[in-house]
Amino acid sequence: MMSFRKAVTSTALLLVLSAAPALAGDPIRTIEILTRPQAAQPQEFQSVQLIAQEWRKLGLDVNVKVMPWEQMSDVVWYQRDAWDATAWQMVGRPERSDPDEIVYNLFHSSTAEKGYNFIGYVSPEYDAVAEAQRKEVDEAKRKELVFQAQELLAKDQPNMMLVHPKQSFAFDKTVWDPASVVNQSGIGIRNTWTFLSLTPLGEKKDIVLNSADNVQAINPLYISGGVDSWVFELVYDRLARVGPDGLPKPWAAESIEWTGDKTVTVKLREGMKWHDGQPVTPEDVKFSFETAVSGEAPMYAPFASNIEKIDIDGSNITFTLKEPSASFVTSSLAKINLIPRHVWEPIIEDLKTKEENAESHQEQTPIGSGPYKFERWLTNEEIVLSANKEHFNAPKADRWILRIVPNVEAALGMLRSGEINFLAEFGGDPQVLIDAAAQDGDLEVVSTVEMGFRYIAFNNRRPPFNDPAFRRALSAAVDRRLIVKAAFRGFAEPSNSIVSPALSFWHNEAVVKNFETGGEVAAKILEEAGYTLDGDRLHYPGDQKETLAQQ
Amino acid sequence: MAHLKAALSRTLQLALVLWAVVTILFLMFRLMPGNPMAAYIDPTFTAEQQEALMAQFGLDKPLWEQYVIYLGNLLQGELGQSFRYREPVAERILALLPNTLILTFTSLIIAYAFGILAGAYLAWRRGSAVEKVAIPIVLTTRAMPEFWLGMVLLAIFSFWLGWFPAGGTRSAGSDYGGFWGLYTSPDFLAYLALPALTLAIYSQGLPLLLMRSNMLDVMKEDFVTMARIKGLSTWTVVVRHAARNALLPVMTSFAIAVGYQLQGNVVVETVFSWPGLGRELVRAVSASDYPLAQGAFLLIAVVVILMNLIADLLYSLLDPRVSHA
Repeated sequence: MMSFRKAVTSTALLLVLSAAPALAGDPIRTIEILTRPQAAQPQEFQSVQLIAQEWRKLGLDVNVKVMPWEQMSDVVWYQRDAWDATAWQMVGRPERSDPDEIVYNLFHSSTAEKGYNFIGYVSPEYDAVAEAQRKEVDEAKRKELVFQAQELLAKDQPNMMLVHPKQSFAFDKTVWDPASVVNQSGIGIRNTWTFLSLTPLGEKKDIVLNSADNVQAINPLYISGGVDSWVFELVYDRLARVGPDGLPKPWAAESIEWTGDKTVTVKLREGMKWHDGQPVTPEDVKFSFETAVSGEAPMYAPFASNIEKIDIDGSNITFTLKEPSASFVTSSLAKINLIPRHVWEPIIEDLKTKEENAESHQEQTPIGSGPYKFERWLTNEEIVLSANKEHFNAPKADRWILRIVPNVEAALGMLRSGEINFLAEFGGDPQVLIDAAAQDGDLEVVSTVEMGFRYIAFNNRRPPFNDPAFRRALSAAVDRRLIVKAAFRGFAEPSNSIVSPALSFWHNEAVVKNFETGGEVAAKILEEAGYTLDGDRLHYPGDQKETLAQQ
Repeated sequence: MAHLKAALSRTLQLALVLWAVVTILFLMFRLMPGNPMAAYIDPTFTAEQQEALMAQFGLDKPLWEQYVIYLGNLLQGELGQSFRYREPVAERILALLPNTLILTFTSLIIAYAFGILAGAYLAWRRGSAVEKVAIPIVLTTRAMPEFWLGMVLLAIFSFWLGWFPAGGTRSAGSDYGGFWGLYTSPDFLAYLALPALTLAIYSQGLPLLLMRSNMLDVMKEDFVTMARIKGLSTWTVVVRHAARNALLPVMTSFAIAVGYQLQGNVVVETVFSWPGLGRELVRAVSASDYPLAQGAFLLIAVVVILMNLIADLLYSLLDPRVSHA
């Protein structure tokens, strides 16, 4: 039994304590960071280990949680407030040479609930810049805005940018003239331009390349796996293509001209033919864009939904847009595959009466107008395309043969033994590849800085990650050169911007240069923001409580 | 009458086992962490697209309803449409099955032919120096992991000596017109050699050791002693009398091995880029492609169950002492 006096004093003490200004908030709970397993993603796993180590030095208790991609993406995407931080990556694609997709979709508040802004970054200031760059047709002015977006992100650090990895590919230089290989900026030498210009030196005239994953579909109305796009970019033409320098070039169009801030006039190239011999007409072009928004090709819909109407005048096609769109040429004209109306119109009409859409329609022989014709597809084994010699940019090679090789080591062995002559995918250590090439003598390896990037996504919804100062400190705690060296063995560029240095026009170099990192920098940011260390445990500033349960 | 009853109860048992397999398969993939939508996550993936996909895949319905639809479809022989490839599961499985079957049977026939002969020989040479060397070798090869063995064979015969190609079923861009044209071409046989050899080395241990121990038992039997006393040649005694009797359990083990081998192919198909069912199965599981994974597993389960049944029937056929009454 407690005595009366004791009870009074302890109550009084409690009152005094709660009335006095708190010296520190609660200790920060154990922070969890997600990564994929070492076996699947050695560089990511290694990076996360290094990062966790640096964060612990700040007084945080960090738990690294390893999950396979299927599970990790499920948590991050569908349980948006159930995680703290996760490793993530964005891969390079030709159409991402225009910064709009990344600048807008990853950070605009409209995509926070169900789109790619899964980190829940909400900033009206950023929204305004992201919207403005989307509409600004004047390139110089738009560049200003894209630079501004990069500065805002550097200040807020909604993500912790790590590196832009280097992609390494190799080819047999006794089969292909090394001068004919095209290195597309931010993509590397495995690209459509290379497959068109590779010039044989001797008797071997077939490009034989590998891919680790199977081809899912060769369907101009379905955006399926990454490997599939290598195939349909060759079989189908587009009005424009992203050039080796990352900027869009007219392709099936002879010219592309902005005739107002919402109108683009395209002149279709003369004399083009479908692989079945029929001529390519402006009506085919119109049909291709209309099919994208017909409801039968939902994955292509976002790339054509800004088009209000399409008018045809002779060989001129005029696109009228609903909203001004600076990236229209790259994200729509260089994205939508041109498809023959005589083939697809009956199919689409039939599909409209059915439950499934055009994504599940696989043609026996896909008919495009592109530089390669479809020949044969052996399930999970190989795809054979043959050169379309009548094309306006006919390939120098005879055939393009894609072999499916899930075994990485075997793919390198095959390159050395001549079973393949272009290594289009290599999941192993790039140094192994370079050593093998040095030993072999017949191979050439080309490494290119990607436009894609690796990063740590912070869950901006959850304290303490909702505090920009906390995010800034955690990001600053890790010297990116350490990640480059230890996790990527030198095959990467340190990053602090979502726009890769490979996209030199849009890349804001100052943002990366002025980024100070190190344990002391981080500790100082935390101190200034009011975080305190009690012993070796970091506490929230002020009287902030830990609202999330310890996991 | 007794036979009819036995057959009936047997069929009922089969149906029950199949139903259990089907149900476990259904639940297994849906309760596993992961989501088939993961493959589509992209900056341009909108909320409407996500809903449309869920509806298209039938994942917007409650679990029990999905289960009822799935069972109903199965009863009509409908395996559904693959999420990943957007094509009927049955078509995809049928396209890959011949490659897997030809690899399985080639390797098993080699393994059993070798295992039976070597097993009989080792039993006959019991206690000799040959046996002392051979048995540890057999046990070692039996214990080697398939992927490791496959990589070693690749390194030696393909990358070092250059005798065999490293992956696929035919040389790049070759066209053999069809099924038989391909399977009878020397090109195909060259591609088949290494994966079949890997699987054969991996599988020869069981028939070899089984044959040897059976032989040792049989050789102690009276009728063998009798044959020896009759003055028959050793060859006749070993082959015509002992081996024929020892063969029985080995033959039934073949049927069961076919079922197991279908799963064992998974690794070898990946190492040798062999376009078979096993590789597809792994891909389907990791991509949460429920219909395809269910279909492939179901096929393998059916083969295992059928092969067990055949083994049983074979036993009673070959050895009248075994009965199912």
